[in-house]
Amino acid sequence: MNFVLIFLILIFSLSLFFYGRSKTKSISIEQNIKLNALPKFYGYYLVLWCSIPALVFLLIWSLFEPTIIKSIIIEVAANQGAIFNDKNEANLIYEKIKAIHLGTYIGDIDSILRESALSYAKFINLFTNSKIVLIFGIVIASVIYSLNKIKNNNKARDDVEVILKGLLFVSSLIAILTTLGIIFSLLFESIKFFSVINIFDYLFGTNWSPQKAFVNDASLITEAEYAELKDAFGFIPLIAGTSFIAFIAMLVAVPVGLFSGIYMAEYASSKVRRVSKPIIEILAGIPTVVYGFFAALTVGPFFRQVGENLGLTVSSESALAAGLIMGIMIIPYISSLSDDVINSVPQSLRDGSYAIGATKSETIKKVVIPAALPGIIGSVLLAVSRAIGETMIVVMAAGLAANLTINPLDSTTTITTQIVMILVGDQEFDSPKTQSAFALGLTLFIATLILNYIAQRAVKKYREKYD
Amino acid sequence: MTKEQRLKKRHSAEKRFRFYGLASIFIALLFVVILVHNIFSKGSSAFMKTAINVDVFFDQELLGIPNNPSKEQISDADLYDVAIESILKVYPASGLDQENALIDLFTIDAEIEIKKALIKNPNLIGKTITLEITASDDIDQLHKGNYPRELPEDRRRISDYQLQIYDTLVEDNKIVKNFNTYYFQNGDSRDPELAGIGGALVGSFYSIIICLLLAFPVAVLASIYLEEFAPKNKITDFIEININNLAAVPSIVYGLLALQILLATIQLPRSTALVAGITLALMTLPRIIIPCRASLKAVPPSIREGALAVGASKFQSVFHHVVPLALPGTLSGTIIGLAQALGETAPLILIGMVAFVVDIPSTPIDPSSSLPVQVYLWSESAERGFVEKTSATIMMLLSFLIVMNFLAVYLRQKFEKRWN
Amino acid sequence: MSDIKIRSKNLNVYYGEKQALFDVNLDLNEKEVTALIGPSGCGKSTFIRCINRMNDVIDICKVTGNIEIDGIEINDKNLDVVSLRERVGMVFQKPNPFPKSIYDNISYGPKIHGKGESKDELDEIVESSLRKAALWEEVKDRLDEPGTGLSGGQQQRLCIARAISVNPEVILMDEPCSALDPIATAKIEELIDELKTAYTIVIVTHSMAQAVRVSQKTGFFHLGKLIEVGETEKIFKNPDNKMTQDYITGRFG
Repeated sequence: MNFVLIFLILIFSLSLFFYGRSKTKSISIEQNIKLNALPKFYGYYLVLWCSIPALVFLLIWSLFEPTIIKSIIIEVAANQGAIFNDKNEANLIYEKIKAIHLGTYIGDIDSILRESALSYAKFINLFTNSKIVLIFGIVIASVIYSLNKIKNNNKARDDVEVILKGLLFVSSLIAILTTLGIIFSLLFESIKFFSVINIFDYLFGTNWSPQKAFVNDASLITEAEYAELKDAFGFIPLIAGTSFIAFIAMLVAVPVGLFSGIYMAEYASSKVRRVSKPIIEILAGIPTVVYGFFAALTVGPFFRQVGENLGLTVSSESALAAGLIMGIMIIPYISSLSDDVINSVPQSLRDGSYAIGATKSETIKKVVIPAALPGIIGSVLLAVSRAIGETMIVVMAAGLAANLTINPLDSTTTITTQIVMILVGDQEFDSPKTQSAFALGLTLFIATLILNYIAQRAVKKYREKYD
Repeated sequence: MTKEQRLKKRHSAEKRFRFYGLASIFIALLFVVILVHNIFSKGSSAFMKTAINVDVFFDQELLGIPNNPSKEQISDADLYDVAIESILKVYPASGLDQENALIDLFTIDAEIEIKKALIKNPNLIGKTITLEITASDDIDQLHKGNYPRELPEDRRRISDYQLQIYDTLVEDNKIVKNFNTYYFQNGDSRDPELAGIGGALVGSFYSIIICLLLAFPVAVLASIYLEEFAPKNKITDFIEININNLAAVPSIVYGLLALQILLATIQLPRSTALVAGITLALMTLPRIIIPCRASLKAVPPSIREGALAVGASKFQSVFHHVVPLALPGTLSGTIIGLAQALGETAPLILIGMVAFVVDIPSTPIDPSSSLPVQVYLWSESAERGFVEKTSATIMMLLSFLIVMNFLAVYLRQKFEKRWN
Repeated sequence: MSDIKIRSKNLNVYYGEKQALFDVNLDLNEKEVTALIGPSGCGKSTFIRCINRMNDVIDICKVTGNIEIDGIEINDKNLDVVSLRERVGMVFQKPNPFPKSIYDNISYGPKIHGKGESKDELDEIVESSLRKAALWEEVKDRLDEPGTGLSGGQQQRLCIARAISVNPEVILMDEPCSALDPIATAKIEELIDELKTAYTIVIVTHSMAQAVRVSQKTGFFHLGKLIEVGETEKIFKNPDNKMTQDYITGRFG
């Protein structure tokens, strides 16, 4: 139905374009009026006014219609006598009613369901009809308005450009909308989570085992059950695991990345640089699921085998394997940025150092790197932020055990792994378990936001010095 | 320390430092090589599958269809008996256990393969032809050399008896390899020999197209606004800060966003390319905006002024003159953004694409998977056959990415004008 | 008559395909200030950069011919450039102090060359270098402040102090005052006059008046060739070569 409406609106707008353009042309010739714009702009004007309000209305209506109908029908079913104890059962009954209406329901239909299904049909009709009427009305109103404007020989091109500029502005608002969307999504569920689990229990708890949270409806938790739950959502082991693996990754990425960047910027001939720089950037372009596969299938078992031969117990999902592979993925982030940053240190500083009789490495170590330091630190922070937010490598190669360990041969879990594990199963949107995933997401979002902010400030400070 | 000693020390420190640099580059390159080699060596065998030559007799009685049957009658026919009869003739198996062992050497879809041959050529009724029936996953891996024969029988999935049959068939040249069309045509399957990326390919294709259709116009319009029209005020600064932040948000957060808003609030259908496309579009927006803005910035003011000087409006100057010049850089950045979107996995897992999807999706609102998610799903399976398929899928994914990146670089180098 | 400190014979320099210096034969005397003048781009800077092998830093630069310091050939592949630059210091056109403290700027050279083992020794070197560069009084109370925070003239004196800190024999100056105001310039010219008693100084300058003020000997370069060299007074009062005469009288710049 929506597609039909959109199609009709567009066709109508298109015809208005031709109408507007030709009518304007003929009137201006007949009555010898000087137009304030080319005829085609009058056409565009009509098109924009005809289509945009109606399409926006249609979009907003369609976004909210399902939710509204759902609440209405659930009300109706309740009034009919249906009994449900929580949101999930209510949803179930709603799905049944929908299925009956569509004719796909297989099972017994009691009177409650039948009545509700009839109401559903009624409401769907009502809503659809109202939608069509309203759109019709909006289109008519917009067309009348715009035709009127045209009659008065408005400066159509200017008006069109104002509307288009508005469109441009709205497009750029998408960025803000997305951020708002993210914050809303994370906050909405997190607030529900923190109304059940105390935020301090979350932030400082040392035990993470969300399977304990069998509860479906938060409002039904008893004191005793809460006491148990309290201990199930401790964040500390997750941040510990995430940091530990990120730390191992940095141990690999920083030396290799930094030295690669230094070599490419200071020592490499342009031939070597032209070949090695893109190849290293390939590492950044490989999807992380590929790294995860490689880590899980090859590196993890390899380490375990080597460990066995050396008499050590190495988990096949060791933090070492996950961290190593993550480090490899991060190398280009540090090497590219360092390369750029080092290149923009002015040559005059190097000349001053060479002129005193310093070797190239002494110059790099004592003059160039300190001068480039804010930029390099910025790149490292960005890399850390990337490591913390990384999901696939750890989901596939790190473990699920939320333990607090500093043994790299053990397996440990991360924030992102837990988010995936929690949400991949069945999702009951009202259980603290599902909500905890959003709380984790919120924490992750804030952490990376802060890291990125500091990193950007550092790089900005550095640019100001030398640009 | 004498002067000479000190000098020597400094020079060897220099050599060491330079060596570390070179070694680091070498290590990074080595990783690339190891990774690629590992994947390619594991995956290249997936493009062929093992099959066994079987003489199939289309016994009219067993088929239960009349003379000169209609198309419908043929497609309704049950070929199970024909299949079993023909398979059992491959090797002298006695007793139910041995017979089952023999049958297990073939794919579960053996019956379907035989039926396809009949549908293609209805004249086969009453005749015998030799068909290449796909082997089971275990035999496939065995034949490709991936299977440990030396393990004791109770730790193997292939019994000694089955090995015996296999060896005999090899001797009689009845085991062949043919091109693995299943890999490209089929959707996911529990049986590795039948599993394919058909569904994932279509799913990825739809997702990327939707991502492009949504992200490109919005991103370009937003960039044009920010570069050409936006006043220098707090709102504009705020928008720019947002864009830079969004580019650095972990992808899994976008998954949570999609889960909450697209699935829970707007109630779009789960696990569809539509939702995946919208999510990817949101992620790709900042990745297109940033290079697009850079390209717009690089166009010198003289172009804009030239247009204005002949009486064009600001709008016309921007859209007719500036934007076309910024297009190569923008398209290049878009292609790279799409390449990154193609490889995204985490957000798609969260919106439900981990469901087991057997059918190839025909529209973007059918349940589907995507290439990287398929890699993830298969990597969780224990069967050896999936290792090979996963690696091959990674090869396909990497090939697409390489082509896209080359295209982006080519576009930029060929068409971008350097202004200084 | 001073001894010859630096001597160049048939010195040719190429930047890729382009030749920048053509067969330069020039002797520079010890503990004297020699000025090199000539229009822009005529090779003066290129020449002095040969003396401390700074042209090595530029990939496409090739130097053929001889340069000797104290009779030892320095255009030699096997020469230790690092030691050479300890003996031959350089001050650049635009002051380039390191983004470090004033103290660290000066102590950088000595530390690298192992010239100041203890803190006291380094303190002494820093103070004496700054004194010799006539900067000590102005900065002695703020040695920890960044060198980049000084005024232009002060920065250049800092760079001179830095060059002095490793106790060189020769100081090369590439248009050291071109980025400075007249007062700072005067201070530096005064400094050069004092320094010449201890160091051999070669100064490239655009300003003929400056050459007259500070140097004892002057060489005139034009398009990569050394046209004429001699006592400063003679070069400016009655040069032998007509081109020199034309340049001095401002016929071309």
